[in-house]
Amino acid sequence: MTISPDLLLLASTFSTVFLAELGDKTQLATVAISGTSNRPLYVFLGSASALVLASFLGALLGGGLAEVVPAQLLQLAAAIGFLVIGGRLVINALATKQEQS
Amino acid sequence: MWSPQNKAILQLPVAVIRSGSNTVAAARSASALNGQSEPTTNAPTAGAIFMGTFATVFLAELGDKTQLATLLLSAQSGRPLLVFIGSALALVASSLVGVLLGRWLAGWISPQRLELLAGSLMLLLGSLLGLQAIGPWLTELFL
Repeated sequence: MTISPDLLLLASTFSTVFLAELGDKTQLATVAISGTSNRPLYVFLGSASALVLASFLGALLGGGLAEVVPAQLLQLAAAIGFLVIGGRLVINALATKQEQS
Repeated sequence: MWSPQNKAILQLPVAVIRSGSNTVAAARSASALNGQSEPTTNAPTAGAIFMGTFATVFLAELGDKTQLATLLLSAQSGRPLLVFIGSALALVASSLVGVLLGRWLAGWISPQRLELLAGSLMLLLGSLLGLQAIGPWLTELFL
């Protein structure tokens, strides 16, 4: 029995990307957002579509946006997003704690 | 750390998840009742959650190792569509794992503690990502 090379490529891409993504910052962010949000479905849709679009740019457009805008600038924007969400969660948690005591 | 009071709080998210609604909204409305609230006392809308998650994840993922791996595999194999499908399926699966893990944690940890943990995690990730972004610029400045 022979496995079609197409299927092999599909499976190897899937396992490479899936394993690389486990415990990655994006997945941790998804855990954090989903754990503290009331709408897991929309967190899933948002995260999944962002990842699919990023991989679309990677596979079909060959880098895409990173060639137009420097990658460092994008990372900085993402970092600011993480910090804003994190700061809001911490402030919220501390405010709730203060009320309880 | 785990006082009887905490135990009572722990019951809340479990009950709320069973009823299919919201843990954080419960915490937020509790804080609103106490008169100490942020401008957005209402739970964020579905669209806001979607867009917030999308923007955060999309920006963080551009230029990331996964995207570079996809780029490489696509160029190597000469079958960009197949590589895209494999990679997209893997990313959707990993999102699903992340969301389910978050919901599972919400059943075990009180909303307030989870917010603190998640917030600290996001601050840590943000700092690392920020350092990574301005790292080359910093070394240029000081070396």
